Amino acid sequence: MRRIIKTAWLLCLILLSFWACSSDKQADREAKKVAVVISTLNNPWFVVLAESAAEDVRALGYEAKIFDSQNNPATESDNFENLIASGFDAILFNPTDADGSIVNILKAKAAGVPVFCMDREVNADDAATSQILSDNYSGCVELGVEFVKTLGGAGDYVELLGLVGDNNTWARSGGFHSVVDEFPDLKMVAQQSADFDRNRAMEVMETILQAQPDIKAVFCGNDAMAMGALQALQAADKVSQVRIFGFDGAADVVEKIGEGKIVATGMQYPKVMAQTAARFAHEYFEGRREFPQRIPVEVELVDAENVAGYRE
Amino acid sequence: MKKSYKYGLLVVALAFLGYNSVYFKKLSAVRAESGAEFDFQAYADSIYYQGMLKNDRTVGLPALLAAVRADADGAFEKYGNRLGIGNSAYFMVSCSGKIAEITADGISLVTDDAETISVNTRYIFGNALRDASGLVKLTDFKTNADFNRVSEALNALIRTKIIPPVVQQLQAGDRIAVTGAVKLSKKALEYPEIVITPAQIKPE
Repeated sequence: MRRIIKTAWLLCLILLSFWACSSDKQADREAKKVAVVISTLNNPWFVVLAESAAEDVRALGYEAKIFDSQNNPATESDNFENLIASGFDAILFNPTDADGSIVNILKAKAAGVPVFCMDREVNADDAATSQILSDNYSGCVELGVEFVKTLGGAGDYVELLGLVGDNNTWARSGGFHSVVDEFPDLKMVAQQSADFDRNRAMEVMETILQAQPDIKAVFCGNDAMAMGALQALQAADKVSQVRIFGFDGAADVVEKIGEGKIVATGMQYPKVMAQTAARFAHEYFEGRREFPQRIPVEVELVDAENVAGYRE
Repeated sequence: MKKSYKYGLLVVALAFLGYNSVYFKKLSAVRAESGAEFDFQAYADSIYYQGMLKNDRTVGLPALLAAVRADADGAFEKYGNRLGIGNSAYFMVSCSGKIAEITADGISLVTDDAETISVNTRYIFGNALRDASGLVKLTDFKTNADFNRVSEALNALIRTKIIPPVVQQLQAGDRIAVTGAVKLSKKALEYPEIVITPAQIKPE
């Protein structure tokens, strides 16, 4: 009888210690806080990136808070100072500036806070813990080929650039021009920044159309600008004359491709980038310290031929 | 009088120091200088002439397609190269066949296995050849921009110097052997459209 009681006690003790360990681990997870710092929440694409990252972090058992840098490096810097002072344990970061944001990452690094960049690259390979980035260049090479084929290799066109301080702007423009510039009968008659912003793109396009009424196409560095360009072209009754190309894979642009109003876009995967960054933060908390510095995420061409497979 | 000499000398000295302490250069010239540190064209030449055509990764196209049909994941793992995350991968393949048609965009080729494939001779752009070769690592370069410049140099070499002289000599009915890159996506494996971005075309 005594032996049975002894064994029962022993079992209880073992079970209790297991429970204590697991609750400690759970408490530890709940105590960890992850900041999601996003360049701007004034663009639906970045809202998806921010909310997906926060959801993935919470699903892993941690606390998550979203910070909006409002496309302003000074606000981003304030966000970093606040979140470091508030004791956040990791940062999932979408930078505002390829060079200007490095100092913020280094501040976090000095405070022992790992930073995982999402979508936008910074010009340093020893600052962030890892950078998970859309393969903008390859995506825009494919768009460039589609552009040349659609225009038959000839005609005047314009390019709407994104934010000039963002590497994505130049990676996209670079991929596009690596193709299009090899066709001398394609002439770029205007190239202007519209800051990745729909309203700004509409204004810029309206101005360009006054000086260049005979253009055949517009290449836009993101889908918000493609929608802005479409609005301007609709107002000028030139939708059938000017072919529009975007980049992002936004739902409204995918719809317009189906309607034949936009020719093509590059489908990015913000949810994949957010999920990978959240997983990396989790693995960092679990003890992993070696991460690939840059991970490209594939961009897929969406055009009239395959648009059905991309409709939500 | 002495004083005026003194001031004159002082002004000359200040002007000399000022002129030599500040330099103005065109931004394009500075960028060109900083870019001159690495010779992308020489690097692309070395990849092409010393590695790409002797590549152990090259697989016969029929063997690749059979492997993909039998075990897609295994075939992608064994023969493919995917940098980062995505559904597709690049493969370095070789095949032979008879030319059905030559257009401005490329060659329609009927392979020895009676498959009709395309050899793209006009749009040799992007990272297909660099990645299919597996000879260049992302970590070899500090930024993605530099990594992509390798592709641009490699593509320019093949698109402008290697392929055109060969294609000019070809006509429908000729037999050729092709080595080049193919992109396959796990999303479309049932009836994949085979388009080879050539690294080499050899008349047989």
